[in-house]
Amino acid sequence: MATVLPRASGGPPVSLRWPPEDNRIPREIFTDPDLFRWEMDAVFTGPVWVLVGHEAEIPQPGDYKTISVGAVPVIVVRGGDGQVRVLLNACAHRGARLVEGPSGNVLRAGFRCIYHMWTYAPDGTLQGVSLPEDFPAEFRREDYGLPRARVATHRGLIFASFHDETPPLPAYLAELTEGLDRVVGDGRLRYLGSVKVVFRTNWKLYVENIYDGYHVTALHTGFQVVRLRSHGGQRLVPNYQRNGHLWGQSRSTRVDELRPVLRDMSLFEVRTKPTTDHNMIVVFPSGVVTDYFDTIQLRYVLPLAVDRTLIEFTFFARSDDPEEVVRHRVRQGPAVLGPAGAITLEDAAALERVQTSSVARGDNVVLKGTPKRFPPYRHVDEAPIRHFYQAYRRLLGVADGAPSQP
Amino acid sequence: MSALSDVTSREQAARELLSHYVRVVDDPERVHEWPDLFADEAEYVVVTRENLERGLPVAVIRDDSKDRILDRVTVIREFWGAGGRLEDRHYNDVRPRHLVGPVWTEPAEDGSVWVTANFGVWLTPSADPTPRLLALGEYRDHVVFTPQGPRFRSKWVILDTAVLQDVFVYPL
Ligand code: FES
Ligand SMILES: [Fe+2]
Repeated sequence: MATVLPRASGGPPVSLRWPPEDNRIPREIFTDPDLFRWEMDAVFTGPVWVLVGHEAEIPQPGDYKTISVGAVPVIVVRGGDGQVRVLLNACAHRGARLVEGPSGNVLRAGFRCIYHMWTYAPDGTLQGVSLPEDFPAEFRREDYGLPRARVATHRGLIFASFHDETPPLPAYLAELTEGLDRVVGDGRLRYLGSVKVVFRTNWKLYVENIYDGYHVTALHTGFQVVRLRSHGGQRLVPNYQRNGHLWGQSRSTRVDELRPVLRDMSLFEVRTKPTTDHNMIVVFPSGVVTDYFDTIQLRYVLPLAVDRTLIEFTFFARSDDPEEVVRHRVRQGPAVLGPAGAITLEDAAALERVQTSSVARGDNVVLKGTPKRFPPYRHVDEAPIRHFYQAYRRLLGVADGAPSQP
Repeated sequence: MSALSDVTSREQAARELLSHYVRVVDDPERVHEWPDLFADEAEYVVVTRENLERGLPVAVIRDDSKDRILDRVTVIREFWGAGGRLEDRHYNDVRPRHLVGPVWTEPAEDGSVWVTANFGVWLTPSADPTPRLLALGEYRDHVVFTPQGPRFRSKWVILDTAVLQDVFVYPL
């Protein structure tokens, strides 16, 4: 059973200025702390499915990992019954955080709160209470399980929702399902580890950057240096009338056609796929899924504060990969897409600059590809960003500015 | 030279290599000298303690050959436009500052020396006067002696901070 978190109601508690043109983004949405708090509620615990992991991260019964859904700290745990659940990481008694570390196993011990020693089973049910004498007569353990999110999985991808009206996951993902399948295959993956880094930017700037195909060759100098470009592709926005995911597809230059400026060009090599086609996906609002080169990566975008966002880059192999393929993926993944990756740092630098100058007020403007009103867009377009903000504004209850349907 | 003083001088030389390393990685204009501090067969690995202890192979940086170590300089200078030159794009225009110590040395039977040291790296961005603590952790270095002098056979940078506080350009 899912537990609905208590939520604020009504419109935004802040007055939000939004220009009438849907390609203009008011800069104050990146700096307003009241809006940030409202987003954590209206977006992240709104009628959305938030990507919180892949089952390969918690393969054994009792395995858990911690993450957050917006501002809500949660535990993603596989029960003794094999079922994946998402539990609030806060004791139902007086709220102490239950687990501190990033991961572990609680099959035997369950979750034990340090404060008054309440213990919970891996499925979140309250098992034991210390010294329960003199509790109110009506106290029943069944009433004090850990609150749970709704959970749905697709090919091992774990999604959580704290809202009762979130549509079923297949309807939410719509045509994006096909893109996800291209990346995660049959879902049998092996977890290789993660790298986490704080970007000094608002979470929306991080996400809109993925929708933006315009910056790719301009900002990422490495691509220019090795002469890597996109040979066709497109930017789809599955379910744009509702939640506006991104499905970017493109085909990049083969490694043997690149300028060999590095002694070891395996960074840009594709060994596991018949072509250099890859997918760059955002599951609205905050999950990133990609199979760039041979890297299978999920990213969790975790807002920390209005101007700070934790990005967790997680890396996977396929379960049946031979060891040399695993080794290639381990060498390539973080070297391309990670905090010290050859094409990641530049995004952080650009986004920090946008964040810093957002106090200047005024609007950011989206231009490239915007004469077209609806997807599909070209892979070099930034126009899909509009659909991200339309979906965002719907959740906030601000008129979405979307043109009428074609 | 007696056996004892030979060991002592090798430990001393290993310490000096580490001091020299800090000098080089703190100076954006000397980043091209960084690969010279490694042996021809060498690795430079930056990993979080979290992944290391869980036995997960993903590292922040895994330069597992001299080629990759040399490539890092190309990436720093050509991809990221850093290295103290005028035409640089300055994606991450910072002055790094390593604080290293204490340093422990342990001679191995084959004549090489293991060096461990605590370290912290602060970044001072040119655009922001507030220094940022990028990373804290431990160096685990293996120093070998080549005809050219002491060189790192391996340098493992183990990060206490499971969450990096910033992206970064220059070697840790
Ligand atoms: S807060 Fe957890 S047992 Fe009291
Ligand atoms: Fe980018």
